Amino acid sequence: MRAALATLPIWPVRNVLVEALLIGVAGLTIALVANALSPQGLKLTRNYSPGGALTASRSFSATGTNAVATAQFLAAQFRSEGLQLADSNLVATLFADPKKDQDLVVFIDARDDDHYQSGHIPGAYQLDHYHPESYLATVLPVCQAAEKIIVYCKGGSCEDSEQTAIFLRDAGISRDKLFVYAGGFDEWTANHQTIETGLRNSRQLQSEKPPPGDAAIAK
Amino acid sequence: MNPAVATDQGVRTKSNSAWLEYPGVAGRWLLGGLFVYMGLTKALHPELFLKLLRQYDLTNHSLLLNSIAAGLPWFEVFCGLLLILGVAVRGTALLLLLMLVPFTIVVLRRALAISTLQHVALCAVRFDCGCGGGEVLICRKVVENVLLMLLSCWLLAGFGRHLAARFSLSKSP
Repeated sequence: MRAALATLPIWPVRNVLVEALLIGVAGLTIALVANALSPQGLKLTRNYSPGGALTASRSFSATGTNAVATAQFLAAQFRSEGLQLADSNLVATLFADPKKDQDLVVFIDARDDDHYQSGHIPGAYQLDHYHPESYLATVLPVCQAAEKIIVYCKGGSCEDSEQTAIFLRDAGISRDKLFVYAGGFDEWTANHQTIETGLRNSRQLQSEKPPPGDAAIAK
Repeated sequence: MNPAVATDQGVRTKSNSAWLEYPGVAGRWLLGGLFVYMGLTKALHPELFLKLLRQYDLTNHSLLLNSIAAGLPWFEVFCGLLLILGVAVRGTALLLLLMLVPFTIVVLRRALAISTLQHVALCAVRFDCGCGGGEVLICRKVVENVLLMLLSCWLLAGFGRHLAARFSLSKSP
């Protein structure tokens, strides 16, 4: 045992601390340069999370057990930011509105490319607010001309829909026509609504039929 | 006959330390590979990492949060590469410890909060902790992190010198 202990190399503390400091400084510099060069990099000075109260409300909704209290709390928090909450009935009504074909009723998908292309509400425009420069030229004129805009993301604790709505509001879109679909894409698919895959208006539509059990209950 | 190796402490024999050196090298590569993988997973989608970071309520200061989300993943990749190559191993191991300890504490703190709110056992709590592996059982993650900390301590103690490009940046070994 003593022989094994004798083989243990000691570590000069000062050298290790200096080494860690050097590596830390070099690593941080390299990390920030890599972020600046990366096409996926973040802009350090931008606030990606406008509406701090809404973030807290989403956390509450994700952990809360009382659905009614949660919905009321969410609605109140959204009103404090000047946003309107859309439930699944309103969203279904607006989706069926003929004005949707004229882009007077517009759906905005606030998720990233992978999620959007794997399935979105048919005809929805994409606006990933983390990389808005790729979408704004298309989306902003459409939103300016629209009468109603419904923004959604995944649902649950996802905050991208309200952050995108606030982003649009700050870009000059009237808050009166901005609605946030808090249930999001998860609720849309859970309600067996049609989805579109690939790009916008790809016409690759998928209609999820309810399982036989659900159909029998509905009858 | 055992060839002698000079160290800060004096002289030790090669054959006596060899049985600890090879696992040390394997541990160095394992730890380095894990950090490169976990770092790259986050670096390619920093906005997802930023969302996960916000869950911890560490700060509302956007510049600080953005800097962590943008810089930490590449920093992990950098540290991982240093370990794989065997450059400045002890200093890097110390930095990994300084990242792993507070991170494990905040993960555990959030898991405890969820466990209390949802009335579930701590070891049944699962969420995406921002570790780069998606949603995980938090108890398992904590155990993994403790093992990684022990591995870092082992490297910090000076093991894993074999096949290292430059184990220490200072002139003395």
